[in-house]
Amino acid sequence: MFQIFNTFLIGITAGSIYALMAIAIVLVWRSTRVVNFAQAGMALLSTYIGYEVIQQFGSYWLALPLAMISGALVAAFIELVFMRLLLKHSSQGAIASIAPIIATLGLLGVIKAFIGFIWGNQDVNIESPLSNIGYSLGSQTLALSPMKLFILVAVSVLLISLTFIFQKTNLGLALRASAHAPEISRLAGIRVDFVRTFGWALAGAAGGAAGMLQTANGNGALAPDSLEFSLLLAFGFIAAVIGGLDSLLGAVVGALVLGLVLAFVLTYVGGSLVFITAFLLLLVVLIVRPAGIISQRAGRRA
Amino acid sequence: MNRRKLIPASAVIAAASMLLSAAPAQAAEPGVTATSIKLGITIPMTGIASPGYNKIPGAMKAYFDYVNANGGVNGRKINLVVKDDQYIPTLAVAKANELILKDKVFALVGTLGTASNKAIARSAQLSNRGIPALFVNTGFSGFADKKAYPTTFSLLPSYQMEAKVIGKYLDENFKGQKVGLIYQDDDFGLDALNGFKQAKIDFAVKIPYASGSQAVAGVAGTWITKLQAAKPDVVVLFGVSSATAAALGNAFAYKYSPKWILGSVGGDAVTLAANKVPPALLAGAKGFSFAPAPSDSSDEYIKMFMDVNSTYNKGVAFDNNIVAGMTSAFLTVQALKAAGPKLTRKGLIAAIEKSGASFANPSLTPFAYSATSHVGATGYWIGTYDATGALKPDGGKYTVYTTDSGTGAVVTSTYKRPAMPAKGLPN
Amino acid sequence: MHKLKSTNASRFLGFVVLGIFLVYLSNTVDELRVYQGATVAMYVIAISSIILLTGYSGQVSLGHGALLAVGGYGAALLRNNFNAPVWLCFVGAVLFAAFWGALLGVTAARLSGPYLAGTTLALAVGLPSIANQFKFLGGEQGLIFDIGLPPASLGEMFSQYKWFFWIASLTALISMWWLQNLLRSRYGRTWRAVRTQSVAAELAGIHVARSKVLAFTISAGLAGLAGALLSMTISTVSPGAFPLTLSFALATGAVLSGINTLGGVMIGAVTLVAIPDIADAIAHRIGASENVITNLPGLMVSGLLILTVLFVPNGPVEQHRARKARHHAVLTSTKK
Repeated sequence: MFQIFNTFLIGITAGSIYALMAIAIVLVWRSTRVVNFAQAGMALLSTYIGYEVIQQFGSYWLALPLAMISGALVAAFIELVFMRLLLKHSSQGAIASIAPIIATLGLLGVIKAFIGFIWGNQDVNIESPLSNIGYSLGSQTLALSPMKLFILVAVSVLLISLTFIFQKTNLGLALRASAHAPEISRLAGIRVDFVRTFGWALAGAAGGAAGMLQTANGNGALAPDSLEFSLLLAFGFIAAVIGGLDSLLGAVVGALVLGLVLAFVLTYVGGSLVFITAFLLLLVVLIVRPAGIISQRAGRRA
Repeated sequence: MNRRKLIPASAVIAAASMLLSAAPAQAAEPGVTATSIKLGITIPMTGIASPGYNKIPGAMKAYFDYVNANGGVNGRKINLVVKDDQYIPTLAVAKANELILKDKVFALVGTLGTASNKAIARSAQLSNRGIPALFVNTGFSGFADKKAYPTTFSLLPSYQMEAKVIGKYLDENFKGQKVGLIYQDDDFGLDALNGFKQAKIDFAVKIPYASGSQAVAGVAGTWITKLQAAKPDVVVLFGVSSATAAALGNAFAYKYSPKWILGSVGGDAVTLAANKVPPALLAGAKGFSFAPAPSDSSDEYIKMFMDVNSTYNKGVAFDNNIVAGMTSAFLTVQALKAAGPKLTRKGLIAAIEKSGASFANPSLTPFAYSATSHVGATGYWIGTYDATGALKPDGGKYTVYTTDSGTGAVVTSTYKRPAMPAKGLPN
Repeated sequence: MHKLKSTNASRFLGFVVLGIFLVYLSNTVDELRVYQGATVAMYVIAISSIILLTGYSGQVSLGHGALLAVGGYGAALLRNNFNAPVWLCFVGAVLFAAFWGALLGVTAARLSGPYLAGTTLALAVGLPSIANQFKFLGGEQGLIFDIGLPPASLGEMFSQYKWFFWIASLTALISMWWLQNLLRSRYGRTWRAVRTQSVAAELAGIHVARSKVLAFTISAGLAGLAGALLSMTISTVSPGAFPLTLSFALATGAVLSGINTLGGVMIGAVTLVAIPDIADAIAHRIGASENVITNLPGLMVSGLLILTVLFVPNGPVEQHRARKARHHAVLTSTKK
């Protein structure tokens, strides 16, 4: 019984980090109709910047917001310089369907190489600022430690803020409008380009938070080729697709579902089935509810 | 250009570029000149298994530099080419091919990893081409089989031997109690399972992990929950450093503390500390080694290695990995010297088979190289980690247990290690 | 523009001549190049499978590495358990991968764009780790795939690597010949129609879903063949041989070749194999630090990819033809 509860906690914690990544992917999708594989690369870069901040100033609490800010700046820069150029040059021909995907893949590689140039490929360490020891419940130990609790709280706060921005502010409205109907939005006076960049910036901040939290949650090791970040990308993406690429709430739900399913499979079935489980889950969702778990549209055409 | 002609045309261009890089005639023995010997190693320098192991090439180079500074081997200076294989067998094969075909090394030295070494031996066709793979950094018992791997020489005692020694310890100290095991789910771990079977150890709970999965969030946590459910009194950790660290770290977070037994592969305290396992967590755990402990500066080999490390490998902390690297390097120099001034691959292999068992070496067990066996060290001493993470031999002195990879019994060794040659330079 | 009507016969002759040339090459160049040549041949087939799927049929797959794995494991299992001759192992690899490709294609036909990309990505991440679950698949260290020594009739000096090169090249020549025919046939035209104007195609009576599944199946078969070749060159098949980066590399190679230009496939294949070498040489020449040496190949490949997508998005060959067509149009429009 206790093991079930602990497994649930493990799943929720991991899922909430995937949720941040999934949100970043959905934000970019909703504001530019692009799936951004470089998301994990930007998250990685932000986390390394956070690492530098810790090296200089010794404080994780300072590093976390700075990583998010730098994530926002990097993302905005990439959107301004790179994506606009890309969309201008490659909107025709056979390449159109995959140009953004391939280009962001290339960007991922460039960012990783860049990180390797500066910081090297060996592991560097980010200490988790809070204890990792689980709380006790009687004689049992919970899979919930101060650090994990902080992660859950932080993700919830970020989530609520993002949803608020998206749903309740003019900026959020502009963001949603420009994604669906850019020309009409322009006519309505919305500065579509600025709004797009803003969407990317939000995504970058979310990615930076995901990176910092995940590294502190794990064993603290950080490297350009780290498996954790590749998984963050893959699982974040899968979570976003499961949730239905169109809603932030869907991304969160999808991520939590993914996290829970993986945790239970890990504990009760076996460690090596993790990856194939993610794939099967995705497949099942796409077949049963093609528009995602939380979907607003019937179809699945991009 | 007409589309239909494209494939042949572009192929011609590509092929022409290949032609332009046609090689000149080969030297007599690859990797050997009158003044130099080129050796190659492929080892995880980055990636999941790299913590700790990525210090080995630096340590080897340091010892080779020391030897080079003192005249080299039969007048030749040793040059080590290092490639990173990230503990991925297919990458190891690619790097080994590069070392053999592009860098044209004389021999491979100290390649790390059971799966990587197996893949290299097979794919780079070491036996067909007579390329020596010296003192491989793995304890897989199969490599000692001369028929299967005619050009490969083990160094470490096999995992079967280690498991049997652990089994003896368990039998003498934990008879009738429940034992748990975490092991890597490939030939490395399976070799150990064989040894435990020989020692007739029955595990209350066995947890295999796929290499690399220890990095996935939550995986190591599930090991601990499984252990907590089965409640063994003592747990054997037979994995690489990152897996051992994940197990110990998560056990601490879950407030689970059985008696730990750390296999030698993942048992280096400095490496574990780099993986966020403070030495305090190790205190009281049992560990195994076949070489003198790195903290034992009264040992003449350790002292010599420490000096070489501080001179030629500045800034790198001295630990088991340094000792391991320098031991391989030391033995390599012995072997090269024994092969004589007319250096050939065949000659090198013959030299180790003939006189390898009598090479000076830091190991506290005898080597068993012969014309019929490529087994290196044959046993372990048992120690306990103290609060600083240093492994101290039980009883204050090294009691070495030797055995074989088969059904032979575990016996206390009476081997007395011969004195180190002057200045640590093989003569 | 005058069309050079080359017959099937003359194309076939072209392939034969190329084959003879490759044999000559294999006897002349360095062993390392011969080994790399085998890898290039493998990439040619793998990249062509992407060109077929994405360039012609318009479906994106980020997980073709998984299909290569399926082919590789199929070949190894046939060899190890049934001692099948090598050519039969390759055929088995093709059929096995095609079968799974058909299944995947049926699912994929209902998806598009990012959803398809996501599914194939998940497959690429998930599939290789299945090997860990089933003992007969050899776990993390995989299975042996040993095609044996070159036949004695070729002489004692005939190296294993040259044998690999011969087998891989012959396989690539045959596959490219076959694929080129296929793409020039009505199947190729159907795929192009579906990609560019699927509604119109449907109205014209083309069964869109069936055509998409067919493309996926054939693409998977080719990928499986490439996977078997890959396993041959390293004598092993294991999950580590088919990482996510392989799938990305194939997509990259396809873009570099020109996503719908089969003729450019050599460009992508050679680039993928050559870049690490070139980057290494550059890094060593400028005496760069460890960090640069490790990361320069990745930077060059990714940088090249980005530049290609930005400036030569449909591939160098297509770009060239488009420019010539525009130039010709300008010329003819000024004529009277």
